[in-house]
Amino acid sequence: MTVQPAQAAQRPGDQRPGDPRTAPWLIVARREIIAKLTDRTFIVGTVLSLALISGFMGIQVYMTQRTQSFTVAVIAADHAMADKLAAQASSIDDKVKVTVREVPTADAAKSAVMSGAADVWLHHDGTPPTWVLTGREDVDTNLAQAATLVVRQAVTTANAQAAGTDIAAIERGATLQTALLVGDAEKQGFAKAMGFVLAMLFYMSSLAFGFIIAGSVVEEKASRLVEIIATRIPIRALLVGKVVGNTVMAMAQMAIYVGVGLAGLSATKYSALIPGISAGVGWFLAFYLVGFLLLACLWAVAGSLASRNEDLQQVSMPLTMSMVAVFFSAFLAKGTVLVWLSFVPPFSSVLMPIRLLQGTAARWEPWVALAILLAASAAVIVVAERLYRRALLQTQGRLSVRAAWSMAE
Amino acid sequence: MIEIEHLTRRFADLTAVDDVSFRVEDGLMTGFVGGNGAGKTTTMRLIMGLLATHGGTVSWNGTPITDAHRRTIGYMPEERGLYPKQKILDQLVYLGELAGMTRADAKASVTAHLERFGLADRAEERVEKLSLGNQQRVQIIAALMAAPAALILDEPFSGLDPNAVDSMADLLRDHVARGIPVLFSSHQLDLVERLCDNLVILSGGRVVASGTADALRSAGPHRHRLVLGADAGWLRGMPHLHVLDVDGATAVIEVVEGAPDGVLHDVLTQALARGEVHEFARIVPKLSEIYREVTA
Repeated sequence: MTVQPAQAAQRPGDQRPGDPRTAPWLIVARREIIAKLTDRTFIVGTVLSLALISGFMGIQVYMTQRTQSFTVAVIAADHAMADKLAAQASSIDDKVKVTVREVPTADAAKSAVMSGAADVWLHHDGTPPTWVLTGREDVDTNLAQAATLVVRQAVTTANAQAAGTDIAAIERGATLQTALLVGDAEKQGFAKAMGFVLAMLFYMSSLAFGFIIAGSVVEEKASRLVEIIATRIPIRALLVGKVVGNTVMAMAQMAIYVGVGLAGLSATKYSALIPGISAGVGWFLAFYLVGFLLLACLWAVAGSLASRNEDLQQVSMPLTMSMVAVFFSAFLAKGTVLVWLSFVPPFSSVLMPIRLLQGTAARWEPWVALAILLAASAAVIVVAERLYRRALLQTQGRLSVRAAWSMAE
Repeated sequence: MIEIEHLTRRFADLTAVDDVSFRVEDGLMTGFVGGNGAGKTTTMRLIMGLLATHGGTVSWNGTPITDAHRRTIGYMPEERGLYPKQKILDQLVYLGELAGMTRADAKASVTAHLERFGLADRAEERVEKLSLGNQQRVQIIAALMAAPAALILDEPFSGLDPNAVDSMADLLRDHVARGIPVLFSSHQLDLVERLCDNLVILSGGRVVASGTADALRSAGPHRHRLVLGADAGWLRGMPHLHVLDVDGATAVIEVVEGAPDGVLHDVLTQALARGEVHEFARIVPKLSEIYREVTA
């Protein structure tokens, strides 16, 4: 059988508008994406991370929604107070729910508590008579707190009436309000926690994808596939396709993580705080996109400097270290240092969103930081292309950046 | 036609390719022969634009070669490799698309080529599952699938068993028959001798011999073997004749340079006059002998 070679193939070089064939960088980007989607390690890693995030959120939701039901045993004489407790408990503490169970005698109440048929016995006795909440081995703190409030209110109201006045008159002017000069502590703490979570996500994602990109460059270099590719498309198209493909995947993965995280959060007691952070999280995604572009180019260069996978750890050391530095800056940078670093790439990718979450950045600041990051990314892409092109066809061991820069093609 | 003129490339102090000139003609198979480090791979990389030249030119049908021309050349690098984790069909279609084919054309061409190599049922397997010989077949498909306007193949036959060598050779002949220039390098001289129309022998970065196998052979000294009925010692007395060896009735002779015409005629006449002549034949040197001679 003879093979009829396909009819005089047209070439990317003579592509015209309306040509159905895809631009070379898009072909490369598509392959990078499909390679990730069919890579079991990548899929398993993503699913595991999602499981971790959802699990963490699930615990939070469970903690929020968990309510405790208590059965309170009373004798007929104390029934009225128990009804007050049952009616007001949930409004005092939304995790506490009370049902009342009337028993004929005090002894019956005791045995109900002993047998577990009731959790506590609410009774009014002694000299002078006081209200007592009797449990078997312990009394739940939340229930005791709710009961204390209910009893105090009921008794003081009764006492006030007996004295010919009312509770409002007695309590007039006796309240204390609190005011904050800086902000809401819970909100602040939450914003801080979110900042750390985002810093962690940035660190893990950029490192994982960094090694994926560098690895795929080394794979092509070590197998000499790059020689075939380089004779068919410009090296620039290969670099652009690789960076774009992986950025799309990294961005999609990050958006899923953040989306699942926020969805989970909205089911917890923190849901009221989400509107306060959504702008910050949105900015984070924008900074992540641009910051990742910059890093992806650098990782591709790192890969091109190595000849084998074994060299990769060493050539990528400066990049790994700077990722660690960005990560720790999220925890350590304070005050003026934080403000300055929030404009310096690649720190700005994480620190500016953190400042936005904290509410300490002015409206113009993220735009300026993003513009600086964009400019830096553009500069890095130009430098990276030169290094990548020169280093890619060198297969004798590791190269230094300086050697790659000054090397003849 | 690809024409290489005065091509030069240095690596630090070493001149790997030194003033190399030759042609790869349309519709002919040109063999590139030379020992390790002779400069074959570097020359091919220079033609493909993977390395910058330090002198000389490569032209394509009379004009300086461009990247657009290079995109039409099927190239197979010396060391082989593909994406080990990707399916065979997928990555060949990918490489076809990079060469400017549409997805559908690429798929059709890959399928036809896999069938020809008996690999059709393995299209969905990962490359790493294939034997080395089959991986090499997949790689040659990458070079051939886009109906290339020329072929430049670095050691396409290394590591193939004799049957695979034959089917690879048939495939290359099909492409030569389309009228395209084909250049391939090899260590296997017998193979080159069998397949090639033209030969270029490289040694120490320089072309030491080039031309058709016949031209190379006849460029060497003309020697004849003479087998007589009796002792051949008398040949030593003949004028203008260099007797290289006499063993009883057998002698190997060579006409001295600058001798007048008719020396061999005189020798044969004398021999017949003296008795029986069993053999009088031109000694055709083997290519390997020429190779050893020119690269020595």
